[in-house]
Amino acid sequence: MNAMRLAALLGCAALAALLLSLFTGVDGFTVAGSAEARRMILLEVRLPRALLGFMVGGTLGLAGAVLQGYLRNPLAEPGILGISGGAALGAVIAIHSGLAQVVALALPLAGLTGAALATLALTVLAGRGTGSVTLILAGVAVSSLAAALTSLALNLAPNPFAASEMLYWLMGSLTDRSLTHVWLAAPLMAIGCLLLASTARDLDALSLGEAAAQNLGVDPTRLRWVVVSGTALAVGAATAVCGAISFVGLMVPHLLRPLTSGEPGQLLLPSFLGGAALVLLADVALRILSPMGDLRLGVLTALIGAPFFLWLVLSRRTELAP
Amino acid sequence: MSTRSSRRTRTAATLAAFAAGVVALAAGWPAGAGSDLPKPKRIVSLNLCIDQILLDLVPSERIGGVSFLAADPSMSLVAEEAKALPSVRGSAEEILALDPDLVLAGEYTTAATVDLLRRLGQRVEIVPMATSFAQIRDVVLLMGQLTGEEQRAQTLITDFDTRLAEVKARAVVRSQAPRPRAVAMQVNSLASGEGSLINEVLGEAGFDNVARYAKLGPAGRLPLETLISDPPEVIVRANDASDFRTVLGDNLRHPAFRALEATRPSIHIPMNEWLCGTPRIVRAVERLAVAREALHFRAEAPQ
Repeated sequence: MNAMRLAALLGCAALAALLLSLFTGVDGFTVAGSAEARRMILLEVRLPRALLGFMVGGTLGLAGAVLQGYLRNPLAEPGILGISGGAALGAVIAIHSGLAQVVALALPLAGLTGAALATLALTVLAGRGTGSVTLILAGVAVSSLAAALTSLALNLAPNPFAASEMLYWLMGSLTDRSLTHVWLAAPLMAIGCLLLASTARDLDALSLGEAAAQNLGVDPTRLRWVVVSGTALAVGAATAVCGAISFVGLMVPHLLRPLTSGEPGQLLLPSFLGGAALVLLADVALRILSPMGDLRLGVLTALIGAPFFLWLVLSRRTELAP
Repeated sequence: MSTRSSRRTRTAATLAAFAAGVVALAAGWPAGAGSDLPKPKRIVSLNLCIDQILLDLVPSERIGGVSFLAADPSMSLVAEEAKALPSVRGSAEEILALDPDLVLAGEYTTAATVDLLRRLGQRVEIVPMATSFAQIRDVVLLMGQLTGEEQRAQTLITDFDTRLAEVKARAVVRSQAPRPRAVAMQVNSLASGEGSLINEVLGEAGFDNVARYAKLGPAGRLPLETLISDPPEVIVRANDASDFRTVLGDNLRHPAFRALEATRPSIHIPMNEWLCGTPRIVRAVERLAVAREALHFRAEAPQ
């Protein structure tokens, strides 16, 4: 399909999902209450939720597409690789040390620090172009360590809600987010996404092989830092305000790749828009399935994403075998 | 099979002893006269709610240890007293080290710990968690019986009932005026409905708990949107978001919630006053009844 037409189509889908999210309430597609109550529900409760859904979904889709292109690995994704887990750890430390109460910006900054450390650890543990298995195992190690440290931080803090909070960070949620969260995360996410989007040409060159890419003028060190810092900024800030939402970055690029020319750079914008649409629609479905907010968004994306991951592994068994 | 039958025998024995205690109290016998057992002298409690009743029931010299949560003032009303006592996190090893002659476990104490302690010959009694005012009386009586403090238990219950009756006797609670609708909001959007202690606290203080209309159970969630679209007249903050550094408190920090709170009376009852089913929960009822009275007179006052 024509790249422009695909992007326009996905853009419309994401916009429609955004509007649908704005008009989805606890009691179906209505807004109840007095005029003042309706204004407050739309602007203060649903708008931040829809905006964050759009930004977080887009960020995750884009980060997944860039990581898959850069690592030349079909299984790369912020959630599976433990980057979201690292961001959650940073956010937990910021909240429970009291730092986030003193400086609000400490929350997304701590998130991006955690994400950056996780991404760096990954690139050290499993360099670019290593086998899928090595990368995924490194991801398992990073996410297990991040989860263990998060649990430790929550247990050390005097907090009667440690168990439920652990669940929040492992399985993210858009419930009860406010415009404050949007303002805190949006600038960092925007910078991160721009950095990630700027890698398009280099990723295309890289798909020809490392040597060819260098001949085409790709600076591997610079590219590596752009990918690491872009992922850290975008995924770190997103996770700091709504917890880890897994598998979006895995599914979206895979679903859209057959519709593009196959070059990794062509996949970035569609993955951003597709990720936004997917997360927004999942959040709408969530509110219909569980109006009281007991079910978490991360649970729903994992319910769809984990079988997809499994199918992906099975269908590429021969490729993935060492 | 033998475990089950021995447990049944033990339950039967507890019930019989319990009945004997009640009879003893009814007959006005002096404390302890009803049971032949000597009073336990090193009681260890493994549950926050049991800790608090125990400290009101038994002199602290006879308490060998309490749960570590008892020393946390955000959850416990006896934090100061608890700090002076050994604290346990619940492992069999640390409990044995305290050499107790009676271990009081809650329903949620792990079965593995309880079984292990019993196999090692410890006397472990399970005390149920009270989730209603009626159950509070039963639990206090049971604990009085187990600790040999029946008379003190009866005093606690009488005091509890007297203070509740005083709240009921307040003109405003008795009056035919419509009960103000209220909701007790907690972290994580929890709003206790039917079957919760908070529901009973609100009812006794003369409020109408809207969480019941939303068909919420003891740990139901009331989405912010529902709260805003049909707001009750009074918001009771059952947790203070600033007490806890947790992301789960974001619903209480949400600008929309803050805006709603600013437009109507908001009352704060600290979590340590309502978390546990103990006679001390009457303090929360009194606090709300006073607030209810203030609201009533504000409404009555000439404009």
